[in-house]
Amino acid sequence: MIEVNNLSKTFGEKHVLKDINVRFEAGVTNLIIGASGSGKSTLARCLVGLVEPEKGEVLYDGRDFVHMKNKERKDVRKEMGFLFQGSALFDYMTVEENVRFPLDILTSLSSKEKQMRVDQVLERVEMPDVHKLYPSELSGGMKKRVGIARAISPNPKYLFCDEPNSGLDPQTSIVIDGLIHEITRENNITTLVITHDMNSVMEIGDFIMFIYKGEKWWEGTNKEMMETDNQEILEFVNAAGMMTRKQQ
Amino acid sequence: MYRKRLFDEMVSLGLDSLGIIMVISVFMGAVITIQTAANIDSAFIPTYTIGFTARQSTILEFSPTIMALILAGKIGSNIASEIGLMRVTEQIDALEIMGVNSSAYLILPKIVAAVLISPFLVIISMFVSIGGGYLIAALTDIVTIANYEYGVQLDFRMYHVVYSLSKSAVFAFIFTSVPAYQGYYASGSALEVGKASTRGVVQSSIIILVVNYFITQIFLI
Repeated sequence: MIEVNNLSKTFGEKHVLKDINVRFEAGVTNLIIGASGSGKSTLARCLVGLVEPEKGEVLYDGRDFVHMKNKERKDVRKEMGFLFQGSALFDYMTVEENVRFPLDILTSLSSKEKQMRVDQVLERVEMPDVHKLYPSELSGGMKKRVGIARAISPNPKYLFCDEPNSGLDPQTSIVIDGLIHEITRENNITTLVITHDMNSVMEIGDFIMFIYKGEKWWEGTNKEMMETDNQEILEFVNAAGMMTRKQQ
Repeated sequence: MYRKRLFDEMVSLGLDSLGIIMVISVFMGAVITIQTAANIDSAFIPTYTIGFTARQSTILEFSPTIMALILAGKIGSNIASEIGLMRVTEQIDALEIMGVNSSAYLILPKIVAAVLISPFLVIISMFVSIGGGYLIAALTDIVTIANYEYGVQLDFRMYHVVYSLSKSAVFAFIFTSVPAYQGYYASGSALEVGKASTRGVVQSSIIILVVNYFITQIFLI
């Protein structure tokens, strides 16, 4: 479980995040949604320590990540997996080396165990025959799958996915969403998906936090979202071409 | 992890540069020999001076400094663009999230590899360059092979080689660290990566020339 208390972040004069309070449970797919520039990616970056917040705390199962020392942070980071928007696979490594990399630096598994784990996760994301290929030889969807495989290879307790569907066709997006959702439930992971894709919201949104101009505007399930009268959410959803019947 | 990176970088920065080093060195030695011969008008200056000048120019200046400038262009731009691209495609963020010290992991092996391998490249360059002059002696009649060889061996001082190799290690540190810094702090788009790469090469070339002046002043005069 990840708990965020009074989290604030400013860039110069601009308040990007304002007193965010939210709780993300394990075993469910938590979505952070909002328009571009609303602060959702900054929130994710604050949660994993890529950006330092001015105020507030981030508790990973009770451990305050913001105020802990670097050495302690390393231990928490060993429990994190991150799927980047552009996959961020290492160009100079093969698929196999990419997936093995977190195992090399985060675990003390033997070489044979690492190989078994690599095979297992690549099988899980339905990419069993790409071990020796380089990222430049993969399609966008394949890169996302390998990115997921790399993120889950060290058995993370917390999985972050930044815009997992960006640049993908609708069919592949559904597959990637399904994969994230299944892996979350299978391994009881606390998963956070940053997205503005309404299809993802409807497909996998167990818990949704809507962020608007740096503030937490609304939270609930995807079913509750369909019923809400919140004006900003309706505008966001309608702009995505959904819930047109409700608008009428 | 770091050892593997170090050996990979030694291959990438060292062996992959061997071709260009040899081509440039052989022509460099040939040209020094021809130009020295062309500029000796006086009958009182012995022709073995051509071999002596080719050796001294090669060891003291051309092999360490010109090679460093060539490598600043080849390796420096490669380092800046590689690391810059990793920055803008979030690969460095991925390393940080995994708890890896990204600057130590990405930059340190490059610097150490270049500092270790550069003196060997310079030694090869010295031999090939002096060999280039030998080819001119063999193919033309501007100097006899015997006189060229005598000049090359005349008043040889080991200190000059040590000075030259030490200088090349310092230059290697410059042409890796400066572009790496530029690439690491690149931000935005591919255009910014290109600019960082250019900045890395220009700055490291200028720093190499300035540092060369001070090293020469301190250790040779």
